[in-house]
Amino acid sequence: MKFKTQHINPLYKILFFAIFCLSVSSCTEQYIFQSNTFESILVVQANITNELKKQEIKISRSYRLGENEQAFEKGANVYVTDSEKNNYDFELEDFSGLYVSKNPFQAVPGRSYQLNITTNDGKSYSSALQTLTSVSEINVEPKIETVDGIKGVQIVVTSNDPTASSKFYRFEYEETYKIIPPYWSPNKLKVDPLSSSIEEPNFLVVPREKETRVCYTTKKSDDLILISNVGKSEDRINFPIRFIDMGSSILNERYSIIVRQYVQSSESYTYYETLKTLSTSSSLFSQVQPGFNYGNIKNNDDPEEKVIGYFEVSSVSSKRIFFNFRDIFPVEPYPPYFMECYPVELRNCWDAKGCAGATILALVKAQVPEKVYYGNRQNMDIVVFVESPCSDCTSVSSNIKPLFWID
Amino acid sequence: MKKIILTLFLFAFYTISFSQEKSNKISIEFNNTNLKTALENIEKTTGYKFYFDENWLTAETVLINKTYNNISIEDLLNNLFENTSLNYIIRNNEIILTKNSKIHSSLPEGYFETTVPQSDNTVAKPLFHQQYDAIAQNSSVPGIIYIGKEKKGGELKSYTLSGFVKNVKTKNTLSNATIRVRGKNSSTVTDNEGHYKIVVPYGLNYIDIELVNHKKTTETIMVYDDGKLDVSLEESFNELDEVVIKTSANKNVKDVISGVSTIDVEKIKTIPLVLGERDIFRVATTLPGIKTTGEGSAGFNVRGGKDDQNLILLDNAVLYNTSHFLGFFSAVNPYTTSKVDIYKGSIPARFGGRLSSVFDIASKNGNPEKFSGEGGIGSVTSNLSIGAPIIKNKASVLVGFRTTYSEWILKKIDNEDLNNSQAAFFDGIIKYNHKINAKNNIESTLYYSKDRFSISSDSVYKYSNALISLKWNHAFSEKTKADFIFTNSQYKFNIDFDNGTPNSFDYGYKLNETQFIANANYSLNSKHAFNYGLSSKLYNVEPGYLNPKTTDSKIIPIKIDDEKALESALYFSDNYTLNDRILISLGLRYSTYSALGESTQRVYQPNAPVNDNNVIGTNYYKKNEVIKTYGGFEPRIAMRYLFTDDFSVKGSYDKTYQYIHLLTNNTTQSPTDAWKLSDLNIRPQEAHQYSLGFYKNLDNDNLELSLEGYYKKSYNLLDYKVGAELMLQENTETQLLQGEGKAYGVELLLKKNAGKLNGWLGYTYSRTFIKSDSQFLDEKVNNGHYFPTNFDKPHEVSAVLNYKFTQRYSLSSNFVYQSGRPITFPIGSYIYNGMEYTLYSDRNKYRIPDYYRLDIGFNIEGNHKIKKLSHSFWNISIYNVLGRNNPYSIFFVTTNGQIKAYKTSIFSVPIPTITYNIKF
Repeated sequence: MKFKTQHINPLYKILFFAIFCLSVSSCTEQYIFQSNTFESILVVQANITNELKKQEIKISRSYRLGENEQAFEKGANVYVTDSEKNNYDFELEDFSGLYVSKNPFQAVPGRSYQLNITTNDGKSYSSALQTLTSVSEINVEPKIETVDGIKGVQIVVTSNDPTASSKFYRFEYEETYKIIPPYWSPNKLKVDPLSSSIEEPNFLVVPREKETRVCYTTKKSDDLILISNVGKSEDRINFPIRFIDMGSSILNERYSIIVRQYVQSSESYTYYETLKTLSTSSSLFSQVQPGFNYGNIKNNDDPEEKVIGYFEVSSVSSKRIFFNFRDIFPVEPYPPYFMECYPVELRNCWDAKGCAGATILALVKAQVPEKVYYGNRQNMDIVVFVESPCSDCTSVSSNIKPLFWID
Repeated sequence: MKKIILTLFLFAFYTISFSQEKSNKISIEFNNTNLKTALENIEKTTGYKFYFDENWLTAETVLINKTYNNISIEDLLNNLFENTSLNYIIRNNEIILTKNSKIHSSLPEGYFETTVPQSDNTVAKPLFHQQYDAIAQNSSVPGIIYIGKEKKGGELKSYTLSGFVKNVKTKNTLSNATIRVRGKNSSTVTDNEGHYKIVVPYGLNYIDIELVNHKKTTETIMVYDDGKLDVSLEESFNELDEVVIKTSANKNVKDVISGVSTIDVEKIKTIPLVLGERDIFRVATTLPGIKTTGEGSAGFNVRGGKDDQNLILLDNAVLYNTSHFLGFFSAVNPYTTSKVDIYKGSIPARFGGRLSSVFDIASKNGNPEKFSGEGGIGSVTSNLSIGAPIIKNKASVLVGFRTTYSEWILKKIDNEDLNNSQAAFFDGIIKYNHKINAKNNIESTLYYSKDRFSISSDSVYKYSNALISLKWNHAFSEKTKADFIFTNSQYKFNIDFDNGTPNSFDYGYKLNETQFIANANYSLNSKHAFNYGLSSKLYNVEPGYLNPKTTDSKIIPIKIDDEKALESALYFSDNYTLNDRILISLGLRYSTYSALGESTQRVYQPNAPVNDNNVIGTNYYKKNEVIKTYGGFEPRIAMRYLFTDDFSVKGSYDKTYQYIHLLTNNTTQSPTDAWKLSDLNIRPQEAHQYSLGFYKNLDNDNLELSLEGYYKKSYNLLDYKVGAELMLQENTETQLLQGEGKAYGVELLLKKNAGKLNGWLGYTYSRTFIKSDSQFLDEKVNNGHYFPTNFDKPHEVSAVLNYKFTQRYSLSSNFVYQSGRPITFPIGSYIYNGMEYTLYSDRNKYRIPDYYRLDIGFNIEGNHKIKKLSHSFWNISIYNVLGRNNPYSIFFVTTNGQIKAYKTSIFSVPIPTITYNIKF
């Protein structure tokens, strides 16, 4: 519902009850609960798809509230078996922390798959048997739409399963857009190593060493997108997955989005649905019942042990599209850059009134400079600086061109 | 010491009696002579000298006309005194007259034996000796009333006592007063004319006369014959001492039902107050087996039952929300309430529809004699009730009104948040009572309560109870009496959220039930008392709407389809007195429930979890078409076995069904929790309770000790799936689980009824569990094991103690200790699919800190002049004297991805209040 707020019901009650506390110190206080409440629980994120590839499984552990480090579970023996008695072994990939199948494989219809894990401490876990869900191909199209009075581009996903056997869908998208800073310069400033004074050095204009003009930012969807077609007359998806305001800077250059559609089983869909409700903040008027969300992976020796995660074997269909601003909006003005840029002129001199030599030196020496060199006038007497993101795209994005990128 | 002197005195008689063997014959004639003159004549004629009190003789107005010839002095006196209350003893030439008592010239057999057998069946003995001892020991007995006179040798085992019970001031006769012979299995109730008749054993007896709202009166009587005894009762207002919970003397031992308590509302004023209000529900929760869900919350849990499993009846109509102000005040005005019967076990067959308990609240009748009233002024609320006759001694009306001025206080507080908040409530009741004739009586009650409060400046919560109850009581015959009752109850709430944005909305809920009851009592004979009848109830529920408040709102209006259902029951019960020791109460109730259209109900795939993903179709039902019928027998059996007069054991079995469920996954009942009717996919809840109790009275019934145990097994109890959201759910069943429950406990109560120090001490050990197991992952909680419910609080101690310094000053105190309730904690975080999630513990694995609180109250009564126009008293109380920072709730707030726990407490410091009460 729309009226959710992040405040929860009791918080308001407190305000109300405060009248009774009158002059008393606060009635609500932070409560330190017992440190022994923490439980280290195995978290298994495993989704085998029908794509022929090195399948990935992520195994980690839960961590203490307030801490931020994800503890990868290392040294586990991980393999997937199928009903044809095939064994797919996985091995830990050190740099990513993921378990990756030694050989590429894909889930095929009609077989059942089981995930098996033996952790470093000798505990063995198995999942329930899962079969590949039915396949449904998607199409992704950008469309001009006006939402809440704002014109923009709507990314619409469509798919159709004429056999009506898919029904449960989970979507993920990943968008990538090109960034070209408006005040890019091929050069940068550096301290002249031959300067007579170390405190008041001269500056040299040298070419920048890396790509700083064209960058690519990639962002994943940060919400669980779940759609069920139960009770609908047709198993058809026509879903606006992402709306981008026409004035949004991400449309400035070239934009790309890949949408992945996972067809889920009813059970795994329910698992994700519960995950989603648990993560949404409580509304002002009703609270969500908290608790443990049971998945389909169990300790073989101790059925009581809690394991997080649902081993899913799902068919996936994905589609990537690219477009430039003008492809969609032929006449509309381009959106502005991500931030407003204000180049400043600094006098490259020392000691005299109005000299900014010290400021320039600080910017040149800074690891992460607030402003970077853009140009100079009067033979370096005046140096022009501009906010880093306005000139060096690597300050806000990545200069590595994704493999999929097509200009 | 007195006993020794008496014994010596009697020895003297013993030796003397030998000397009066001679028997001179007398001849004498009396013509219209009164007794005094007659005795004087005998003195003259014979040598005897009489010793007596002249007043005794002037009371004997009968004139004597008789001639005696050659008669012995004994026969003459026996003849003369035959119809008088006089006895005599002859000592040489002296005749000593006594009134009533006979002076024995010999001691009863076995007098000097150390033990005197006390069985009812022993032959009545001369009583004077031993019973005088008893009287002498108890100096507080005001005086002995003699019934008849002692007849030498002719003692019957028991006699009949009859008379009227009257109000001491108005002289009106009082019906329904209980007359009980203390220590004997004999009791009766006054009829409509205030008349009673009771069998009393020979000799010294204590007769207890009790009536609601009146002081318990005890008459000490010496019974020698059939006789009359009229008793006047004083109204119990301004009685500051004494018992709060009234179980009539010996009632806890003798009654067949276990697990029942009666709260006499007049008497609860000694319990320390919170914010200056008497509260019957708060008193109830000091009894073993009844617990509050939390401070500042409305509900209570009876014997491990959920807070929706209590049937709260106000003059037979269901009261859906029992509280004001989020539970700080009870919605029932204590000034207009006469008593509350609480059944936590052995629920009589005439009640049904809830699993755990019945709170049967009766409101007072207006004063049929004259205009009278009662009022209280406290620091937060004020209260006024007025009773007046409409037709003198026939019809009367009682009007009660109560309101708060908390809003005014809020405005005064120098805090902007609070200035903008609102908190107001009021309730009003009108009771009309009309005694048409000896056979017909009409009562009607109108009740309305309303609350309005805000917990943030942009939202206003409102809720209201409205009920009407009409009762016609008709006596078909001396033995058959019936009540015809019509009730209607309505409960609704509303949230008005307006923060000026398009998110503003208006949300509401409404429930209405209309009920008809025909209830009859038939006393077949002294062994069987039948109660039977039928009831039928129609529910109409509007489960919720949500409307945007602005035209540009993004909120889509929601309107959940109305629900309708019919719940009916037939019942029959027999209170059967098998013999002196065994009393059996057999009850049978058959209830049936039909969910009715118009409605659309989902059909779920069998053998699959009930969720949105397994819907295979929907059924449409026309208006009043039966969607689904549930029902079944609800036997209620209770038995009492009396070991001795003051020691009994009771056992009972109850089965109950509940067809309506409160949807709340918060631990505390909130006014915005909605009731849901059973339908195609939600089954009624069911409970079986077995209980066993031992009851022992000590110290002349002044100390009552009881130990009760119970085991309760429930089915289809409501629980909630992980991630369940209940507000405005179109398909509530997808959020619910219906699991098995079990609860058991032991309740110990020690009560002292009278004396300067009185009160009670209760201890309860109880556990309550629920289990939701299923082959489906999302219908499983805690791996399918039993786990403690939200309100599982194993240990509870409560004590209420009153100490009376003088007639005018008394101190009362109240102590409560409860184990902390279970809670589900966040115990960590994890990353899944690139997103961070909070990991929760097993459901209710942890507990919040324990709860304890001590309250103290001091009462000062106005003086006791009887002729005063009004009576008043002051109460000063301090709530939470120890300043314990009791947790009201612990909750978790996620801000910037960080989850933090907060503890809320209410009244974390001592809160003093002062209240002035007046009665005129």
